[in-house]
Amino acid sequence: MNDMRIAERDVETNESKISARKVQVYYGTNHALKDVDVDILDKTVTAFIGPSGCGKSTFLRCLNRMNDTVASARVEGTIKLDGENIYDAKVDPVQLRAKVGMVFQKPNPFPKSIYDNIAYGPKIHGLTRSKSELDGIVETSLKKAALWNEVKDRLDSPGTGLSGGQQQRLCIARAIATQPEVLLMDEPCSALDPIATAQVEELIDELRSQFSVVIVTHSMQQAARVSQRTAFFHLGNLVEYGETGQIFTNPKDPRTESYITGRIG
Amino acid sequence: MSVFWTILIVLALAALGYILGRQKALNSVGGDSRRMHSLPRYYGWNVAIFTMVPAFLVLIAWMFAQAEYVERHVTSMIEPADIGEGSNLSLVMADVRRLASGLETAISTGAMTADQVMALDASKDDIRGMLGKVGVAFGSDVTPHILAAAQNYREIVSAASVYRAIAVLAVALIGFAYAYAQTNGSFWARNRVEQVTLGLLILCSMIAIATTVGIILSMVFETGHFFGQYSWTEFFFGTTWSPNFHGNSQLGMLPLLWGTLYVSAIALAVAVPIGLFAAIYMSEYASPRFRSIAKPAIEVLAGIPTIVYGLFALITVGPLLRDWLAQPLGLGNSGSSVMTAGLVMGVMIIPFVSSLSDDIINAVPQSLRDGSLGLGATPSETIRQVVLPAALPGIVGAVLLAASRAIGETMIVVLGAGAAAKLSLNPFEAMTTITVKIVSQLTGDTDFAAPETLVAFALGLTLFVITLGLNILALYIVRKYREQYE
Amino acid sequence: MTDATANASARRTGSLLVPDARTRRRNAAEARFKIYGLAATLVGMVALVMLLISIFSSGTGAFFQTFLHIPVTLDAAVLDKSGNRDPAEMQKVTTIGYAKVLNASLQKVLDDKGMAVAGLTDKDVADMISKEAPAQIRNMVLANPALIGQTVDMTILANGRIDGYFKGRVSMESAQLDKNVSPRQLELADKMRAAGMLTTDFNWGFLTSGDSSDQRPESAGLGVAIIGSLYMMIVVLVLSLPIGVAASIYLEEFAPKNRWTDLIEVNIANLAAVPSIVFGILGLAVFINFAGLPQSAPIVGGLVLTLMTLPRIIIPARAALKAVPPSIRDAALGVGASKMQSVFDHVLPLAAPGILTGMIIGLAQALGETAPLLLIGMVAFVREFPGAPPQGFFDPASALPVQVYNWTQRSDPAFVERASGAVIVLLVFLLIMNAVAIILRRRFERRW
Repeated sequence: MNDMRIAERDVETNESKISARKVQVYYGTNHALKDVDVDILDKTVTAFIGPSGCGKSTFLRCLNRMNDTVASARVEGTIKLDGENIYDAKVDPVQLRAKVGMVFQKPNPFPKSIYDNIAYGPKIHGLTRSKSELDGIVETSLKKAALWNEVKDRLDSPGTGLSGGQQQRLCIARAIATQPEVLLMDEPCSALDPIATAQVEELIDELRSQFSVVIVTHSMQQAARVSQRTAFFHLGNLVEYGETGQIFTNPKDPRTESYITGRIG
Repeated sequence: MSVFWTILIVLALAALGYILGRQKALNSVGGDSRRMHSLPRYYGWNVAIFTMVPAFLVLIAWMFAQAEYVERHVTSMIEPADIGEGSNLSLVMADVRRLASGLETAISTGAMTADQVMALDASKDDIRGMLGKVGVAFGSDVTPHILAAAQNYREIVSAASVYRAIAVLAVALIGFAYAYAQTNGSFWARNRVEQVTLGLLILCSMIAIATTVGIILSMVFETGHFFGQYSWTEFFFGTTWSPNFHGNSQLGMLPLLWGTLYVSAIALAVAVPIGLFAAIYMSEYASPRFRSIAKPAIEVLAGIPTIVYGLFALITVGPLLRDWLAQPLGLGNSGSSVMTAGLVMGVMIIPFVSSLSDDIINAVPQSLRDGSLGLGATPSETIRQVVLPAALPGIVGAVLLAASRAIGETMIVVLGAGAAAKLSLNPFEAMTTITVKIVSQLTGDTDFAAPETLVAFALGLTLFVITLGLNILALYIVRKYREQYE
Repeated sequence: MTDATANASARRTGSLLVPDARTRRRNAAEARFKIYGLAATLVGMVALVMLLISIFSSGTGAFFQTFLHIPVTLDAAVLDKSGNRDPAEMQKVTTIGYAKVLNASLQKVLDDKGMAVAGLTDKDVADMISKEAPAQIRNMVLANPALIGQTVDMTILANGRIDGYFKGRVSMESAQLDKNVSPRQLELADKMRAAGMLTTDFNWGFLTSGDSSDQRPESAGLGVAIIGSLYMMIVVLVLSLPIGVAASIYLEEFAPKNRWTDLIEVNIANLAAVPSIVFGILGLAVFINFAGLPQSAPIVGGLVLTLMTLPRIIIPARAALKAVPPSIRDAALGVGASKMQSVFDHVLPLAAPGILTGMIIGLAQALGETAPLLLIGMVAFVREFPGAPPQGFFDPASALPVQVYNWTQRSDPAFVERASGAVIVLLVFLLIMNAVAIILRRRFERRW
């Protein structure tokens, strides 16, 4: 763990963005997530770590109700975004997902041009009134995703023609083009090579200035590098949640310690 | 000796060969099967195969040759007067065959001797009665020509069957002896048997090629005859279809092509949106319970034979359209119309489009759907703007396959579209298609020298080429599409 | 990052609990889209239901028939003048003689019961009996000459129009315009029915007798067509199962991947989509004109359907073989089996349920196929049953779907009922075959 660079701590000033209380998730009869209580802070990178199948991705998908698309999934408890329960019957998941964007494990650019990939979200949400405004959003999103210089001359070529790392940054650009408040990332680097991973990690660090970022990762090193706060999940339970430095250097729960030191996982 | 008995004897020989071959191989190694190259049964099979396969090949070849010979020889004995009203040569020949087999039965049951049979005289003897006694029912009275033909037929067949049996059994015995002589424990029997098996497998898979070659040859040949008698420019570009069996026919294909395309277009206009929307609904929206009813119900439509759709068009849809749409609107008063056939054909193609679309929509990776939903798109936006564009090539392929099916469909148009060759825009008028005219030119009394009959082959070839083009294009697109997501 | 602040204004604000106008619009579009999908699905289902209702409502009548029950006096003076009951001599009395006996018997019954309707001639009354009935009685008497001279209670077919009257196809109004039946005859029919002489019973003859001519729809049956279809299915099964399985094994397990096998594959995929009528042309040109096989024969129909069914069997059979995981093959090869042994001993048995299911579905398709059979002469009017196999394969026969087509071409509307009835029979066969296929699949389906 010598290469582990622990991010600077500047989290105290931020307020809570999402607060989850007593969240339960069932897949059919399988109780996949038990009694999760978490407060996710604004303008902070929060990492969810834990062994495979521990429920970290499941919880992430609860935060923008992507679990609604799984027929057998059932969610209980409350998750509040800015004080409003996102599982309230009056909430439209479509509106919610505009505020809580998501980037997936495998880069999944649409089989359209780079431009259309980015413009897709703003178009469906009606964020622009003119073509020039849309052009502006596409450009800033690509710039924020640190992809602009690589693709500015071929915005009309298909997004599927980019390299893996570029595709993932395109997906991040696509997600931030809808101007979300929270950005969820489900193992965004697991399909990328080390160089592309480094680029995406750097990008995540920059995104922190505008978004609350939640990242699920199977790599403890990555969590240590990019996040300010870390939550450790194990067997459907949230075992420990706190500042990243504290989790990695001085875990309170023995299970966290076992995982950090590589005895389970 | 009948074919049945010949086959049985060859099979018995093969079984004997199996046992003896196996035994000989075992004996050659002193009963220790571990010292043999192959398992004992392969030595048996080797002898059995060498006994059976050449013998059966000879038998098949002989039967074709004999049928050809007898038919030609005996057919020449039948005179036009023997062919009654509403009958035809092949029905009379069936009578001849039945009579001949009746005579044969009479001999084998001992009711008559072979000489007595040859001495029968249709004008004196009650042949029907005699045959009735040996249990052969015979519909009509026997004319002298038919009797003579049958006597002749029986004689040739019974003589030929003796030679045939001798030839076949000789070949079987030679094969038997050859393989048996070869057999010993160090012979690579398994490899030999497997080679022969592989050869048979290859032969079977060649039948697909042979079928295509047969289709093309049979049509090209007769189409050549047709264009020898009728100008090809008039066939392809003529706008009048009026065959006339006394000659001077006008055989322009365009009205038929127009009818075909018009009906197919209506069918696709019905089937593509309905099939596509049904596929989308069932794969993206329907509850499992609804799907478990709706999906089989729509698939049942695919299992219903086209003749049933044809009957449906004829007795229900046609009259319904005529009484409620065509007549009130003053557009015509024919039950069979382009619209009738098109609508019913559309229903027939719905399951075809929906199941192909279903496959194709499901081939679009879930990650693309997640990507779109994760950005806050509604399911319908996801389908219209992400899934369908991604699936478009596949869907185009499916529509082309559906079009090929519509163009080649026969029974629905025969019963629903009518028989009048017309170039008209009114969908409530009866029109006709290529397939309908193939049926009408090739059924009933046909004279294979007349252009009015031969034109059916030219039509068939045109139809084959059109559908072949569509199929290959569609298969190519679908294949490319699948590779994209594999 | 100055642009970012400019764009931040575009960020959506407002409570999640209150959908904004745009979201409401989008949700409305979503609901509409969903309704289109539901409507499309329902249209498909309604079409199926309409089709079935249409066929069943017009076809069930074919399974019931109006029969006339009367005592028939088999007058020896007419039927056997010499009186020595010699079958050879009795053969000479044609159906006309039997018709006389039958008509006289019917007249007598009507006179006895005082049911005569004014204005009906003897011929009118006689016309209420099926033209097939005298032949029925003749066969009965020839089979049992001892009946002559006796009075026997008989059940015979009524004329098709009388049958139609009780089934609602013929009415008093339509009878006035009809040359073949008059309202007075129908009046008499009503009386006879009230007296129990006319009843409507299950019509076994529809399933067992052969076709009959245009004037006697009441006696037309499916017997020959069912036998013909059965013979053809036997030919298809015997030829296409081994050939289809062998071809799929070669293509899936042994064929090298090269241009040649590519060609075979494209060929098979294309053949499965070639219009069926093209196979009819092939059959006509090759089997009948070239090889000289007889027209209308089940063997030719079977051969044509085999060629058509083969690709439709090979495709699912290959899928079934492909579904067997390579680990099974590796396991067999690993213990020293030859490639051929691994395929025949391990892969084929595991793929057998899938192959059989495909086979049954292919057979079902072949059973319903019509167009190619029209071209090889199976539309000919065939009354006689084909002989027993193997010779019977070469005798003229009909086939179920062709019989349907045949009957739709007849002028008497009674044949529409027969055609629909034949479709019901055809659908029942298909239902049974598909049910067997589904059970096979459920029972033996394996997921790896």
